[in-house]
This record gives sequence, structure tokens and C-alpha cells, in this order.
Amino acid sequence: MNSKAFKIVLPLLTGTIFVALWQFAAGRYTPEQLPAPVDVLKAIKELSDNGVLWGHIGISLIRFSSAYLLAVVVAIPLGLFLGRFFRCHAAIDPLIQVLRPISPIAWFPLAVLWFGIGNAPAIFIIFLAAFYPVLLTTISAVRGVPEVYIKVANNFGAGSRMTFLRVIVPAAFPGIMVGLHIAVGTAWIHLVAGEMLGAQSGLGYMIVDARNFLRTDQILAGMLLIGVLGLIIYRGMKAFEQAIGRRWGVAS
Amino acid sequence: MSDSFPKIKLSAVEKRFISACGDEQIALSQLDLEIESGEIVCLVGPSGCGKTTIINLMAGFEKPYSGSVQIDGKPVSGPDPDHIMIFQDYGLYPWRTVLGNVLFGLQAKGISPGEASDKAMEALELVGLVSAKDKHPHELSGGMKQRVSIARALAVEPSVLFMDEPFAALDAFTRLHLQDELLRIWQEKRPTIVFVTHDLDEAITLGQRVVLMAPNPGRIQRVMDVKLSYPRERTESNFASFRKELFEEFHLVHRQALDGVEYQI
Repeated sequence: MNSKAFKIVLPLLTGTIFVALWQFAAGRYTPEQLPAPVDVLKAIKELSDNGVLWGHIGISLIRFSSAYLLAVVVAIPLGLFLGRFFRCHAAIDPLIQVLRPISPIAWFPLAVLWFGIGNAPAIFIIFLAAFYPVLLTTISAVRGVPEVYIKVANNFGAGSRMTFLRVIVPAAFPGIMVGLHIAVGTAWIHLVAGEMLGAQSGLGYMIVDARNFLRTDQILAGMLLIGVLGLIIYRGMKAFEQAIGRRWGVAS
Repeated sequence: MSDSFPKIKLSAVEKRFISACGDEQIALSQLDLEIESGEIVCLVGPSGCGKTTIINLMAGFEKPYSGSVQIDGKPVSGPDPDHIMIFQDYGLYPWRTVLGNVLFGLQAKGISPGEASDKAMEALELVGLVSAKDKHPHELSGGMKQRVSIARALAVEPSVLFMDEPFAALDAFTRLHLQDELLRIWQEKRPTIVFVTHDLDEAITLGQRVVLMAPNPGRIQRVMDVKLSYPRERTESNFASFRKELFEEFHLVHRQALDGVEYQI
């Protein structure tokens, strides 16, 4: 068997074993404690049929993408600036280092006080989750731009604007892409947390709502969907990254 | 431009730096050197003799502690598009194609796109890389990359080329080939070339004059006129006698350097 076939067969095998173990375990508990795989699929179908599911997925995706884009739009310019100006970075770095380890979820009480209940606290939390990875990788990408690139630009008499926009930004771009990639993961994870805490809609809320009615099958349905959507977003990001890499002449 | 002053003139140049242990070291001491317009001068010497420091001073990437560095009778105040440095690691921009890299200097000068692309193609033709113009640097061999960076320099028609061990990372055959290419380009365009190398054969192949440097502190040990016509035959007996002379002097410098280290211990 060739390696391509292995790439399909092995994951399928893992999936089958996982479902079998799940089925076996489900047999030993009540459906309220652990529903069987089939029950979860039925729950997904039920949620989809009565139309609730698509609304929740839609609002989750809107919150996720708006908070993520907001974080990117703020963090990249700030990171480019701080990476370029060592003194500003030295001044602000201690603050970043103290704020960064605070879990975005810890901000939740304040977020509700400031923004009330609704979209805003969830968006705020997702924003924080995406903000730091993008900011920090952008700073280190700019600082990691090889000295020789700057020397060449100075030697040819490129002005500071041309050096920044046409040397530093493109040279830092692959590093920034790594940050964008990491941020997708952290932001998606915190989406659920944000929605579980304050929102009245979205996949996170759907799980909380299902818990209130002890619909364990719907809880697992929500979890499964979050995992699958996360995978799809992550894969999309990776494809985008590879396309950019080819354009940049760095990917093999 | 008058012929009364040399193209490049270093007088009583001193360069100091603070070492990792915190004490001040003299990298270059009271150095005088004059280079004529259109000349090829090779700087050779053991590591730590300050040959890279000199070329960085001339190219304006560093400033002297004391003394003066002048090009065309004016003190060097910083990097200048008329004096282009070629680096060992090429300094090509990986996100730009070969043509894009060669265009960079012309764009920095603000030359119109049409004219810039004509000049860039001309420079690529000079280094024989027209067919690779749409490739990215990662698709090229080391020798091709260095030819791109030479083309990028030639495109802006500089009067001086500074070359800091440009062929040191290349394999022996590519190195010999590029030495011949460089001489061909030099004979066609006649820029002033200052070429740093640690390869004595390379220095004798290229240099009209070879400046042998000694370390601790960095200084000029000897300036040798290589009175051989181009193209030089590396197997010729005259070549061998210059080579022998330079090797002997180099060994002397090297021994002195080693003795110096022992003495310090």
C-alpha cells in the first residue's frame, strides 16, 4: 500500500476505533450521562431541521470573524510600529508581558460591566485571544528582518517610507502569517467561552442552553460542530498561508 | 572630476569598538590608503585584521573613530547609491523575482517604470541571467544569486563597487567562473572595485593591487602591485611567483598574529 492510501486509511481507522469505543462506553451509561454517537447525529439533525442550528453557527462565525479581523487590524500596525521603534517597544513591553498571561476569560466580568450583555463581551474576549499572538509574532517578525535587507535598502538610497513598506513589511510577512495562524486557533477556542458566559445565541450559548434542559446529546452535538468548524477554518487558513508562501517565493 | 585626488582616500583612519568583555579594542589603527578611479584593489588578511571594517567604513555603513574617509574628495557620510556594496549572503529580497530585485535600486532612485525595466534587463544581460528573470531567489543556485546581486548593483551604474567576500560561500568552479565574469564586466564598465577576500589566489587573479592586512591592531602590512595583464592565467609562472610572495608574507602575518595571541595568554 502506498503512503497516499495510508493517509486515508489510517485516519479512518482511528475514527472507527474512536466511535466504537464511544459506542461501547455509551452502553454502560444512561443517555443523559453519555449519549451514543447515533444519538448525537440525530440531535444535529433535529437542531438543523428546526432551524436553530444555522442561526447559531451563523452568529458564531460573524462574532468570530469580526473579532478576529478587528484584532488583526489593530495588532499588525501596532506590532509593525513596536518592532521598528526599539525605545517604544522597551517602554511598552513590560505592560504587554503583564497583560498577556491574563486569560481572556478573566476579562469577562469587566467586559459585561463595560459592554453589557450581547455580542460585545464575546467579541471582546475573542479579540483579546487573537490580539496577543498577532501582536507578539508581528513584533518579533519585524525585529527578525535580516540586517542585510535594511543595509541594501539604505545603500540604494531607499527612503524610510520605501524601506518600511517595500522591505520591512514584506520581509516580516511570513512571520506575521504564523501569528495569524496561531490566533485563529486561540480565537476559535475562546469563542465558545465568550458565548457561554454572556451571549444569548451562538454555538457556545447552544451548549449552555442544552445543559439547562439536560440535553446531553445536544451538548455533544455542539462540541462536535465546534471541532469540525474549527478544523475547516484552520485548514482554510493553512491553504491561504501556502498560497501566500508561493506568491512570496518562500514555500517549496 | 579632476585627477588631482584619488577616487577613495583613507587618511589616519582609526576604528575602535568595545569587545564582549567590555574593554576597548582597536580594530584599525592609523590606516592610510588611496585607491584610483577604475582600479581593482583586493584586501586580504587573516580574520580579525579589519578588512571588513575598512570596506564598511568606505561604504558608509560605519563611521571612523578618527581620521577621514573620502570618496571623490568628499567625506563619506553614509551609504550612497553611487557606491554599492555586494554582500557574501547576497541580500536579495526573497519575495521579489530576479527582475524585481534588480529593479529595486532603480525604483529607489525614482526612475520611471519603462526606463527602469530597460536598465534592469540590460544589467541582467550583462550577468547572463535574462532567462531567469521571473524566478524567485530560492530557485537559484548560490552563484546565480550573487550574479543577481551584481546585476542589481550594475543597474544603478555606480562608480564604486564594494565586494565583501562575495564568492566565499560558492563552490570552487563557480568561484573561478564568477571571477572571470567580474573581470569581464569590470573591463566593460570600469567601475572602481574594492574586493575583500581571504582567498589569496582570488586576490591575485583580480587585483591590480593587493593590500595585505595584519591584525592586532588592524593595519596594512604590505601593498603589492600585481603587474600581470588580464585575463590572468592562473597556471602561469608569473602568477605563481606573485602567489609565492603573497603566501610568504601572509604566513609571516599569520605567525605574528598567533605569537600575539600566545603573548596575551
